[in-house]
Formats: sequence, structure tokens, C-alpha cells
Amino acid sequence: MSRTITVEGDVNAIDTRTLLTGQGSVTTPSLVVPAGMTKIKQIIVTAATDGLAAGHVVNFIRLGGNAILNGEQVFVFGGEDSITVQAGSDGAPSLGEFFIIDDADIDVRPSDTISIAGESAGVDVGDETFAITLVYGK
Amino acid sequence: MSKLYRTREGTISAVDTKTQLSTLGSESAPGPLLVPAGAKKLNALIMVMATSQAVAADGAVLIRLEGPGLPEGPETLVVGAQGVAVATGGHGSRSAHRVTLEIPVTAANEILIFAENVGEDVGDVTVGVTLEFTM
Repeated sequence: MSRTITVEGDVNAIDTRTLLTGQGSVTTPSLVVPAGMTKIKQIIVTAATDGLAAGHVVNFIRLGGNAILNGEQVFVFGGEDSITVQAGSDGAPSLGEFFIIDDADIDVRPSDTISIAGESAGVDVGDETFAITLVYGK
Repeated sequence: MSKLYRTREGTISAVDTKTQLSTLGSESAPGPLLVPAGAKKLNALIMVMATSQAVAADGAVLIRLEGPGLPEGPETLVVGAQGVAVATGGHGSRSAHRVTLEIPVTAANEILIFAENVGEDVGDVTVGVTLEFTM
């Protein structure tokens, strides 16, 4: 059996750990690991930027909190780069691609709380939105 | 058999120049990247890059893994490549890629991660690398 949790949030400054705690119309979804679930089996994550600043970043996720048994786990999942357009031109869209880890195999403690944070590093590209799904299993 | 994920990032700004990735965003000095206790194998790498697009040129980026945590010696892997015709009005959105490996490691010893721009100088490049260990 699998259970899922999806959260999202704005990451608008580089080198800033930003908790992802929203879920659109649900402002505070539960971050408690469902009873009986002992692992994060799969991770699906994406991000997009408005590209309003000329920069280049790599984006990463920090999984922490009391539910993560072996300490904080950190992984990169994507990058964004942008350079200012010529006067009178439009910039290309930022089309966030999925990054998926199919066998993440991260140990968690059920009924305890997980912390999901997003962060970017490099040179600021503007505002970003991150969205991530964790798939729990046994 | 759980997995452990360790990450570093950094920016390289010169071609053919080995540059260590030693920071982690808000952690400017996370310290040496040590092979976790009990880890037996580097199971995969997750890598991504982004460039300033500020130079009309084309080049590739590779990483080098070195240090006493790798008993078989250094490893090199390609991260990606980038080219632009004009240095205005570009945008890139990249997904990381994960490469499955089977590299033995020595627990409690350091692995150093370096990135390098090869080919033509594509401007500044930020590179992120995650090491995925298995016990």
C-alpha cells in the first residue's frame, strides 16, 4: 500500500532554506507520516521560475524533521538559468520538468512529523515555485 | 537497506579549471563530505547544472570525484552541455539526471567533488551533485 503527500511553496531567494508547507487551497496539510508507513519509496519534484533576474541556480530539497530516521537527506533535482532579453523581446517560458527518484528508500518513523524544505543556490534567477510529492510505503 | 543522500554545490567561472563544490546553499561551510558510517557503495549520482548564458559559445561540464573515500581512485562523469548563439534573452529549465553506479566507498573518509567546464567557456556555471549511498 502507498500513501502520498504533496506540498508546494515559493522559493524567492537563493541560499535560503524555505519550508514547503502549502498545498494550494489547503494551507496547512498534515506532514505527519501515515501510520504503518516506514519508508519514502518515491519522490517526484518540479520547479519553475519567472526568470525575472539574470542568473543560474541549482535547486535542491532538504528532507528532515523527527520522522527522518537517518538525519537530513538532501538532493538536487533541477536547475534554472535566465539572461535578460533584448528590448522589445519576450523571454522563453520556464517549463518545469519532473525529476523522479523511483526507489528513494529513505527510512521514516510513522506517526511522526516530516519537514520538507526547498532551496536554491547560485545566482538568483527571480521567483521560483517548488512542488514535491512523497510516496510512502513499507 | 536504506539509502543516504549527501549534496554539494558550487559555481565555476573559468574553462578547464577544476573547481571544488564545497557549499550547500544556506550552509556556506558544511564541512567535508564524509562517507556515512556503514555505507558500502556509492549507488548513484544525481547531477544538474545551470549557466549564465552570458557568452555566445558552447561547452560541456563534467565532475570529478576524488579523495580517500574512494578506494579504487578518482571517477569522472559528464553533467551536461550548453551552447547559445547570442548572449541575450535565453532561458533554460533543467531536470537533474540520476546515474546508477556501483562504486565501493570507505566509510568515514572524505569524498571531494569537483566540477569543470570543458570545451569553450560558457560563462558562469552552477553545478549541484548528490551522492546516493547504500549501506
